[in-house]
Amino acid sequence: MGTDLWGTTAIVGVGETDYVRGSDRHVCDLILDAAMEAITDAGLKPADINGIIPPPGYMSAEEIAAHLGVPDVTYHVSVLMGGASPTASLQTATMAIAGGLADNVLVCMGWNGYSALRPKPDARPTKRVMNLGPMGETVRNHYAPYGLMSAAQHYSLYLRLYVETFGIPEDAAAAVAIACRNHAQLNSKALMRGTPLSRADYDAAPFIAEPLRKFDCCVETDCATAVVVTSLERARDLVHPAVVYLGGAEGHPEPADEIANRANLLELGIHRAAPRAFARAGVSPHDIDVLEIYDCFTYVVLLQLEALGYAEPGGAPAFVADGNIELGGRFPLNTHGGLLSQGHCWGLNHVVEATRQLRGTADAQVTDAELALVTGYGDLGDGSVAILGRDR
Amino acid sequence: MSTYVPTPEWIVLDWHDACVAAELLCIQRCSGCGRWRHPPRRFCPACQSDQTTFEPVTGNGSVLSFAVSHRSLDPGWQTHAPYATLLVELDEGPRLLAATTTPSGEIRIGQRLAVRTEALSEHFVLVWADLASHDEPTSMAPRARGNA
Repeated sequence: MGTDLWGTTAIVGVGETDYVRGSDRHVCDLILDAAMEAITDAGLKPADINGIIPPPGYMSAEEIAAHLGVPDVTYHVSVLMGGASPTASLQTATMAIAGGLADNVLVCMGWNGYSALRPKPDARPTKRVMNLGPMGETVRNHYAPYGLMSAAQHYSLYLRLYVETFGIPEDAAAAVAIACRNHAQLNSKALMRGTPLSRADYDAAPFIAEPLRKFDCCVETDCATAVVVTSLERARDLVHPAVVYLGGAEGHPEPADEIANRANLLELGIHRAAPRAFARAGVSPHDIDVLEIYDCFTYVVLLQLEALGYAEPGGAPAFVADGNIELGGRFPLNTHGGLLSQGHCWGLNHVVEATRQLRGTADAQVTDAELALVTGYGDLGDGSVAILGRDR
Repeated sequence: MSTYVPTPEWIVLDWHDACVAAELLCIQRCSGCGRWRHPPRRFCPACQSDQTTFEPVTGNGSVLSFAVSHRSLDPGWQTHAPYATLLVELDEGPRLLAATTTPSGEIRIGQRLAVRTEALSEHFVLVWADLASHDEPTSMAPRARGNA
């Protein structure tokens, strides 16, 4: 059932702003700049777009259409899975296209991830905020009164269990932080380009919430990204080589709206999404050439690599060691620098990077990359997976 | 310790109101099948009944996991950093967070504890856990009453 869907659509346009700490531009301008860049990159006009998936908050599909000059929106939907949203949006876009509800779907993400908390003195103020989805009620009622307000603190609740259950060494995630920072040195837009990270810097950094030290945490940034999805058939007539959406999935832990009462605190949405995504795409983990893994925190990359089948539970620290995830290794990971060192655009920047890798135009290009895997991760453990491939 | 006190609504409000009235930790219990559940839910996931009561629990449980925060966005909590927040599994089954004054280095997963409630408003209780010493037997003293 549903097998007609997979491999019928492609990413044909990408756009991204710079990743900065403190933008002079309004968050709506960032979102619209990225959107227009993606449409132009595809060789399309706003009038060609008729499906819109807006960011989780900040701007509506209606506003985006009006400001871009999209005259006839035939389908729109919001996906509210936190950081799992943009990657999950690819399956939604594919359903809309395969079902004939839309032809060319614009997926947008953008936010003032830095300036919302620390605006520049002369920054244009905004009342626009993110839609927290399931997090709002749970954090407000059950976690914040106990001093757990930030994502790092919520993850700390189950990362402790991960560390103690599998005897994870204290430096297990250093290789993830350093690989992402190394890759950011090669990415023209990365916030942390020009700021290398040494192992000594990593080790000396203070804890934020155990086991997460400062460089285990992603960078708050103002930024926006966008992609355009269309049918593979139409994609073959456009300017860039089509990047085929071979398959994807979403998954949610049970219960999805809070952490404490899950039968297994370490069974997350991605554990459910991963096998579905590989089956739909008809590929296995070891076929993949490039990994773009949602890296809000380094340890979350370890958990996801295990969920995806790259290592047994507790085995990810060995997988990320010895240069395996560096450019030139067997599984280059977050070749743009990731949320940890390029910037935090909710993982749609991972989709943009995967698309560039498969076009062969990435700043840190993996030789002969044919298959890329992208994940998304929502703060309460929602997961999404997308497997992209070069058109054959 | 906390400077942030929420104003709950709906069934979360019902839960807090029950705890405030009882001066004890109460947990939602299904009237259909007797199962305990938390956080409060409208329907029982096992028998689908929407008939429930909030009943006092023994207050005994153990540490399932814990977070150790070195930085907090809450100014009240920040003054206590680093501080631990416990993920408690009650002997009745449900799990919830609890505050503790025990330094993080003295906390172990599996450690026994007793919870008590502190009413921070007429409609909100904070749950505290008092940890047993590591060599204490697993059966603890009777539950402490609120606002201790």
